Amino acid sequence: MLIMPGGYVPIDYLPVLIFMVIASAFGLGALLVGSIFRPRRPYPEKLMPYESGNPPVGEPRYRFSIKFYIIAMLFVVFDVETVFLYPWAVVFDKIGLYAFVEMMIFIAILLVGYVYAWKKEAFKWD
Amino acid sequence: MVPLEWYIWLATAVFAIGVAGFLTRRNIIIMFMSIELMLNAVNISLISFSYYLQDLRGHILSFFVITVAAAEAAIGLAIIISLFRNKATVHADEMNEMKG
Amino acid sequence: MLPQVLFLYFAFAIVALSLAVITRKNPVHSVIFMLVLFFHIAALYLTLNAEFLAAIQIIVYAGAILVLFLFVVLMLNLKEEVTEHRYISLWAVGVLLSIAISAIFLMTLSSIPLGAKGVFSPDVIASETHTVALGKLLYTEFLYPFEIASVILLVAIVGAVVLAKKRLKS
Repeated sequence: MLIMPGGYVPIDYLPVLIFMVIASAFGLGALLVGSIFRPRRPYPEKLMPYESGNPPVGEPRYRFSIKFYIIAMLFVVFDVETVFLYPWAVVFDKIGLYAFVEMMIFIAILLVGYVYAWKKEAFKWD
Repeated sequence: MVPLEWYIWLATAVFAIGVAGFLTRRNIIIMFMSIELMLNAVNISLISFSYYLQDLRGHILSFFVITVAAAEAAIGLAIIISLFRNKATVHADEMNEMKG
Repeated sequence: MLPQVLFLYFAFAIVALSLAVITRKNPVHSVIFMLVLFFHIAALYLTLNAEFLAAIQIIVYAGAILVLFLFVVLMLNLKEEVTEHRYISLWAVGVLLSIAISAIFLMTLSSIPLGAKGVFSPDVIASETHTVALGKLLYTEFLYPFEIASVILLVAIVGAVVLAKKRLKS
């Protein structure tokens, strides 16, 4: 990190910034170069969605199943639980048994929800 | 040093945009995203206060705000799905059964 | 100079992206703008010396909550949304209210009393890293809020399963 006269600049994250700039410049540059050099002669058959030569059938935006939602919702909740585990793992050796017990209580409470979702067959795909 | 006021102005602007989006949009999903905008505005102000007061408690508060936002998103979107199942619409102004 | 330039870039990008989120017709576009917005907010947290929160912002908000939003947007077939009205008929009242709320915020800004400075100066945080400093505080002083957070997450699991699961039976 770097404290400049004007304030704080997260200089450690400069590689991340360079990575993101190069990545987005590569993507945008490829699209830009393509749009400059490719010939552009559209006609209706060409603009049609490609379905291996057949005319397209049905709507492109069909409705997703609710099963995706259940999985994503469980992912959100347990993602937050995992996020709580990161600082716990880092400070575990400094706090000791106290931290262990409180995290076990935390996980036990969430385990109740996990068992509930399991019993309600939220993990079953069919 | 970037003045603290600048961060508060930014947080106020994002919060106001969230309020405006919540009050004016018809699509209930966008209304819900506006709530997330407001929560993020609060997080920005909490973290900037925390930085200027050199105290980490604001960071922990915003940690809990993110936790509650995750729980709220899970429940709220489940409610939206139930509403859509019963009414086949996502427009908030068409849900007027309670209107006297 | 550089911190101010960074802040101004992030501030204008955040405001412009928030406006884009609430004004797009297509909810999928709103979600994508929100993704970019969350990345910018995470970068703003980095300039405020909160690197663990920047990581959480990306892991939880951009990685999990927005995926949930995207699934719901795609789950409800929203073809008609693109052609219909975006705003309620009384949209001017909402805009006025939001302007009034921000005016109240800005008027009270001058009277905020800033308390005494705490012990977590940037040097202290740099010496023991942000995650350790946060964890020490979170698992000692904020023990009860932390356990209550698990109950909130439990409510989220149970509530969402109860609300959304009915559909599978029918």
